[in-house]
Amino acid sequence: MSDSAIGGVAPIPITVEFTGGLEILFDNQRKYAISLPGQLEDGSQPNISYLVQYLVENLMKDQRKELFIMEENVRPGILVLINDADWELEGEEKYELQPRDNIVFVSTLHGG
Amino acid sequence: MPAKELTGSCMDCKDADAVLTTRNRSLCGPCYQVFLEHKVYRRMERYRKYPDPGSPSYRLLLPLSLGVSSSSLLRMLDTGMNRQLAKNARTSYTIEIIAIEPFTHAYDEALYTKRFEAARETFSKYTFNRIPLHSIFDYVPNMTEAMREYVGSQFKDDTSRSNEERLAAFRGANSTATSKADLDNVLFTQLVVGYAKQTGCESILWADSDTSLAAKTLAGAAKGRGAALTWQVSDAMSPWGVRFDFPCRDISKPELALYESVSPDLSDIVIPDEPLSENILTKNLSIDELMLRYVTTQGEKYPGVMANVSRTANKLDSYSSLDSTICSLCSAIVDNVKGNETGITVASQFSVQKPQFCYGCTRSRPEIDS
Amino acid sequence: MAPTTCFNCKEARAVVIRPKNRHKLCRSCFIEIFETEVHETITSSKLFFPGERIAIGASGGKDSTVLAAVLKTLNERYNYGLELILLSIDEGIRGYRDDSLETVKRNAVQYDMPLTIVGYGELYGWTMDQVVEQVGKKGNCTYCGVFRRQALDRGAERLDIKHVVTGHNADDVAETVMMNLLRGDLPRLSRGTSIITESGASDTKRSKPLKYAYEKEIVLYAHHRQLDYFSTECIYSPEAFRGSARTLIKDLEKIRPSSILDIVKSGEDMAALVPGQAPGGKSCKSSAPAAGAAEEETGGCGSQNGRSSGGEMAAMEQQLASNDGAESRETEIKMPKKGKVSVGKKIKTQTLQHCERCGYISSQPICKACNLLDGLNRNRPKTAIEVGMEDEEGSSTLMRQMEHVQLTNS
Repeated sequence: MSDSAIGGVAPIPITVEFTGGLEILFDNQRKYAISLPGQLEDGSQPNISYLVQYLVENLMKDQRKELFIMEENVRPGILVLINDADWELEGEEKYELQPRDNIVFVSTLHGG
Repeated sequence: MPAKELTGSCMDCKDADAVLTTRNRSLCGPCYQVFLEHKVYRRMERYRKYPDPGSPSYRLLLPLSLGVSSSSLLRMLDTGMNRQLAKNARTSYTIEIIAIEPFTHAYDEALYTKRFEAARETFSKYTFNRIPLHSIFDYVPNMTEAMREYVGSQFKDDTSRSNEERLAAFRGANSTATSKADLDNVLFTQLVVGYAKQTGCESILWADSDTSLAAKTLAGAAKGRGAALTWQVSDAMSPWGVRFDFPCRDISKPELALYESVSPDLSDIVIPDEPLSENILTKNLSIDELMLRYVTTQGEKYPGVMANVSRTANKLDSYSSLDSTICSLCSAIVDNVKGNETGITVASQFSVQKPQFCYGCTRSRPEIDS
Repeated sequence: MAPTTCFNCKEARAVVIRPKNRHKLCRSCFIEIFETEVHETITSSKLFFPGERIAIGASGGKDSTVLAAVLKTLNERYNYGLELILLSIDEGIRGYRDDSLETVKRNAVQYDMPLTIVGYGELYGWTMDQVVEQVGKKGNCTYCGVFRRQALDRGAERLDIKHVVTGHNADDVAETVMMNLLRGDLPRLSRGTSIITESGASDTKRSKPLKYAYEKEIVLYAHHRQLDYFSTECIYSPEAFRGSARTLIKDLEKIRPSSILDIVKSGEDMAALVPGQAPGGKSCKSSAPAAGAAEEETGGCGSQNGRSSGGEMAAMEQQLASNDGAESRETEIKMPKKGKVSVGKKIKTQTLQHCERCGYISSQPICKACNLLDGLNRNRPKTAIEVGMEDEEGSSTLMRQMEHVQLTNS
């Protein structure tokens, strides 16, 4: 995916966290520091949709993608926090990532 | 449906060739018709007793959508009444047919008219009428007031415009697919009930299959309309003093489709259902659509479970609405059912709450406070 | 997008959007409002009395951790005068329960509450690891569910506590409503929606103070208060959450976020209309038709908080198919017989008694736990159980199926 970046635009460093049981899908690692291209091939900026796809293709160790995405979006029951705020406040999957953003994915589906 | 090629003769008449298998029995077309018709007649028991001599027979209203279920029900009832006539020279009930013109999607009006006329011709004994949804202003007395109150101040009802335009403006005020579909159901029911009252029908025979009833039950529960299930999907008196009956409640949608397929006289009448669209994201569905999809897909694997849903709701006691406020829009009770004293009240959930609407209708109101 | 300000304080940045009314709240207003609403639930349903000793059923998971944290906060803020004790069940599953028990032990320190752990080993002579060794991975959830139900009551009894609170949330209740509509079990629908369940035959009552709290808000509350909770699937039932009713609830929430509470509201109204149910939705006393609280959570495993699993539908279908055996042959009945139409509102009834072995409340002379133990101790599970083990996820309904068979035979 990184090859879709266009030279000259600075990459976007962000941190991604998986909690509430989701870490099992990501090699039992809770926190990742990653770098996204500053601009995509079509000239747009990477947004949460892009990030989710990126995570599935690059970080997810588990084959069962349906436990994380559904209908090409985050599976219902998984909360997304953008700098601690519910993503619904930030435009959901259309939110464009900014340098040093912290994105948290929390599962509500695991046991209580 | 198991409509595979069969060899061998019908297990019922032991004569004709079996053409289908249902509930593990191979049957010919006529025996299958009889099988389903008996399921309907069992549900029609209360109208199959002849009234006292001299008193009129029961007047029942059948809403006809020209879909598989209502067209099949019409044929089944017609068959039953023909038998009564042959035996007793009179029938214990008469039916009146009302068709509400499609309003949720664009439709082929010429085709609709052709099919409607075909139905009228095939079942010429009965009175047929077709009316558009916006005739609700003629059949439901307080519609204008309820509508204005419901939508609130930002909605300007312009009585100089046609009823069609007024209703379109009202329906357009709802933003979500769920609220639109929910409100449409309310309006549709109100219109059919209004028509039944004006034409002196004491009961409405809804043609919902068990599939449809299961979807309505789950959707009703999901929309906060649980209490209203005691008449919305149950054989019971509705809040308007008109009875609701569901004679097809023991028959699944695929079984009705099979009935249509072995009844050639229905082929000029039935307009096929719009197929469930494949590429709609779940979040853009209405709750009614979601539940219909759920029940349809799960029903393929678990028909018994789905059939059981509406049976369960049908077991609930009815509630007394005598000392309760009735929702101005849908006539469900506004407060919690008696006995549910500590339940969630609508008031605690909303900053703006109008006392004349029930929980379900309040949930579907256009958002005014956000 | 410009940051949204809090609907409540109009100052801080909103970080939460509430499912039930779409209010946008900042961190501290959200925490305060969440707590206040639980307080209102507690006071309006008169859940506790001053001086009452309460056992919090604590699994280390999000729901019970939030419950413990909120109850501690409210007990101090509003002077409830409660004595709060953490009660944990140790199923004896290495690598799962021992980790979650560590969480509970930390919680005990963090919230300054005494902790009692009751183990399957000491109660039944069998840990789940040993059960699995004997019966295999398939079907073990049945044992766990049946044992767990009694274990909380027995633990409470040991502490001489009459009231156990559990972390069931609005999503759990909504799921119970949907499952029981599908299952056709109105008495259980009624029990599942009531905030307090008590049984005439036992003096331990159960209640769910988080009944009106969205699972989403529970997770957010835990997140924003940085509560220490444990979240891994039980190693013996991975991904049990892929259950159809749970998926349906989450899809509904996506379509209309309020719908979870709307289902709870529907469930409460319907519960009041269940035939033979005494009016009084607040507490569900075990009158004749309703089996007691002890029978409430069938097969709910600790990590899943009693939620359903995907295989449940298959088991239900089987059960219904056997019920309908007679009906499917009705083509042979040519004409409906007069007066045979069953339109009566019949609900199955159960009579409660005490288990002859252990004295626990049961609908049968020997309770389910003792039955299962018999099988284990005889070194071979009962035949009926072997049938159920075909489908691991369906195992939670097995007992219900057995129950049904026994009921119809009697």
